[in-house]
Amino acid sequence: MNFLAPLYLLAGLAAAVPLLLHLWRRRTLARRDFPATRYLERAEREHSRSLRVSNLLLMVLRVLLVLAIAAAAARPIAGVAGVGHAPVALAIVLDNSLSTTAVRDGIAEFMRLRDAVRGALAQATSADRLWLVTADGRVRAGSASQLLDELAATQPLADGGDLSRALVIADGLVAGAELPARLLAIATDAQRSAWSAAIRTSRPLQLFAPDAPAPPNRSIVALAASPARWSPAGAVDAGIRSPDSVPVRLSIDDRTIARTIAPGSGPLTLRAMATERGWHALRLDLPPDAYVADDQRYAAVWIGDAPAGITRPSAGPFVEAAIATLTSAGTLARDPRTPVTVGAAQDVDALPALLTAPVNPLDIGAANRTLVRLGIPWRFGAAVSGRWTVRGGLADGALVQQRYELQRTGGRSDTVSTAGDAPWIVAGERWVLVASPLDPAATNLPVRAQFLPWLADALIARAAAAPGDLRAPLARSPRSLLHLPDAADSLEAPDGIVTPVTAGTRLPGARGVWFVRTRGRRTGAVVVQADSAENSLDRFTAATLAARLSSHGNATGNASRWAASVYAGGRARPLLLPLLVIASLLLLAEMFVVRPTRTTVP
Amino acid sequence: MQASRAPRAELVDPAVLAELGRLELVARWIVDGFLSGLHRSPRKGFSVEFAEYRPYQPGDDLRYVDWRIAARADRWVVKQYEEETNLRATIVLDVSRSMEWRSSPTLLTKRSYAEHLAAAIALLLLRQRDAVGLIRIDDAVRTSIPPRSRSTQWRQLVGALGEPGGGHASDLVTALQQAARLVPRRGLLVLISDLLVDVEPVIAALRGMRAAGHDIVVLHVMDPAEREFSLAGDATYVDPESGQSVVATASVVRSAYAATIDRVLEEWRTALGALGASYAVVSTAAPFAEPLRELFAARQRHP
Repeated sequence: MNFLAPLYLLAGLAAAVPLLLHLWRRRTLARRDFPATRYLERAEREHSRSLRVSNLLLMVLRVLLVLAIAAAAARPIAGVAGVGHAPVALAIVLDNSLSTTAVRDGIAEFMRLRDAVRGALAQATSADRLWLVTADGRVRAGSASQLLDELAATQPLADGGDLSRALVIADGLVAGAELPARLLAIATDAQRSAWSAAIRTSRPLQLFAPDAPAPPNRSIVALAASPARWSPAGAVDAGIRSPDSVPVRLSIDDRTIARTIAPGSGPLTLRAMATERGWHALRLDLPPDAYVADDQRYAAVWIGDAPAGITRPSAGPFVEAAIATLTSAGTLARDPRTPVTVGAAQDVDALPALLTAPVNPLDIGAANRTLVRLGIPWRFGAAVSGRWTVRGGLADGALVQQRYELQRTGGRSDTVSTAGDAPWIVAGERWVLVASPLDPAATNLPVRAQFLPWLADALIARAAAAPGDLRAPLARSPRSLLHLPDAADSLEAPDGIVTPVTAGTRLPGARGVWFVRTRGRRTGAVVVQADSAENSLDRFTAATLAARLSSHGNATGNASRWAASVYAGGRARPLLLPLLVIASLLLLAEMFVVRPTRTTVP
Repeated sequence: MQASRAPRAELVDPAVLAELGRLELVARWIVDGFLSGLHRSPRKGFSVEFAEYRPYQPGDDLRYVDWRIAARADRWVVKQYEEETNLRATIVLDVSRSMEWRSSPTLLTKRSYAEHLAAAIALLLLRQRDAVGLIRIDDAVRTSIPPRSRSTQWRQLVGALGEPGGGHASDLVTALQQAARLVPRRGLLVLISDLLVDVEPVIAALRGMRAAGHDIVVLHVMDPAEREFSLAGDATYVDPESGQSVVATASVVRSAYAATIDRVLEEWRTALGALGASYAVVSTAAPFAEPLRELFAARQRHP
């Protein structure tokens, strides 16, 4: 039995009043003159037995009356024997997250969950108020038959959704219902990663979760092109989770470009050379297992001809050696058809270019004049010395001893790295500007291991990138909101269908690689897929999860038992009316006992 | 001829009537009203000697119409009679402390009611030229006026009824024994008391009076609450005379109390009946006409 207003139970303490009056009334009662007391005493003596019974009966009636009124005021709800249930407000959360596509014993978990919900809805009556909430937070309301139709049309999501939010929504729905019995139920695969958030419902929760361990699973937990721009050779870095070795296949636009055997769980790098140019989709595949959703993972890559690094003498010996290394490795081209000039600013005469600060402070004027001429919206300011750690970008962690203060004059650009909170590396379309000479006297970046990757990225991904291109693909979840560059005008689906878009658009619910297009050209890519946390099928037990989610949680792995228990709260009917009837009957009985007796004076 | 529509005093609520005037005046109203109403009685009345004529009023017994006057003067008159003045009556009035009680401010105390009733009885008897005396008792005789029929007796009786004395504990038996010695000649003895005493000793005392030749009428004065226990609530009920207390829930004990009172009244009625005495229970809520009728009905039964 539960009470909607349990504080009123304290009023039951008033039952002690008639009890105390009965026990101690000789001490507490008022004294009244009554000359015929001798007859009163005689009456009590002659009718002592019946009077004692009457007094006791009266006390019991009054105690019960007070208790009944107090109990009624507390608005109790208790289970009442019988078939069916009282009208209930019931919200059922159906877990249709991606993990429910895992197959166990030949049946997808989603089918089990959906069948369980179908069984629960089948027991609803027309007087019930029903909602179905799925993992994406979508709410369906209606009669049982309407929700059964909705249920039949419900499919698993392409990602994990947000079950915690769905449960909060469901809790709020029933909280606002006017029916006294407000019930909450959920059918979930109890995936640990989906229920990591600490939430608790405000009412009892009936939880159904398959009472079985998750099926064995191999998964790809990460995939990214390395570097993000291939020229045209490149690699992909993948994360594999597998108990044993597993064959993997890398494809670009459905064309296989690499195969290998992953040794088991751990990182995996696959090198590849592509003939395609521009933005393209990469996909890594594992052999399908019980959970096929994580046997594929997507990435995007820009593929193009590598630029040639043209160094000026003012670039310094470290830059010159690094470019030679990158050229010999094939990262940079020997053929100067797409040159990128590298040198001190005063020595650069055209873009694309990587410009550094001059070694000699006397050249600062010429350097600034070059910046003006090339349209670069930054100027070298005063030379400062000190010791700063570089933050941001591939140069992160390097030390700077000498630098010029960079002064912005307007225009669009990115601050790639900072030194002492001041811009140190800034970049724009077809140029990269460094506020120090790339010399060990000014910074230790040229002598660090990260120098070559940084230089390759600066030359290929920034200086040589086509104007308006995204520097790297965007990673998003299905149905998330995407903010595109201002110049972007359409989105190209994996199947090639181009849809005009505005700056902010909602991504579809399917996984894959979408391409950002600007004036008919692919200028970027958006990789849409579930968070890798969804790949872990580790589960809570049903009881553990129920205890996490509700202080009055009940859990079962039996679908039919769950369907029946969902309405258990509906059998708890309000007892207000019966208690008021009982109180009225007790009052009538009390009035009967104390009824005035009419006698006629002879 | 038009009958008077004014309410007759003996039928008015006693408490209301007592508010209207002094005891003497109220008693006169009661007696006047009572006497004027007797003609409606099926009985002939209690007098046997012609006293006077009065105009005929509708409802008067036609046997008392003087037809000769009607024939001569064309005026209807009826003859009225007076009883012979050979009765010596003594009113014994209990003025003990228990008589001071009333259950509601809208009622007279038992003592006040009894005093008005005693005054009315006395006046009624005096008008019949009977000799009337008064003895006020509580635990002893407080006032004693020997029976006389002279015209000053009425004022003397009224004066005695208004005396403040009494209010002590009741010892009705001793007081009755003392009173018996004060009334040596046989006559009518009217005892007005709440009889909150044991039956047997009182009967024994009255038996002696009866043996002395007295006719005895006992008017048992009761407050309605004493009859029905119409009080409410849980309380400790205390006898102001004896200090005896009883804890009771009025609603619970009411029916048992009423049954006990029925039994008590029956005991008094049986014992007094066996003694040859008349007995009537008088409620302080009842108009004074009722006990007066009871009294004279008793006189009819025991002339």
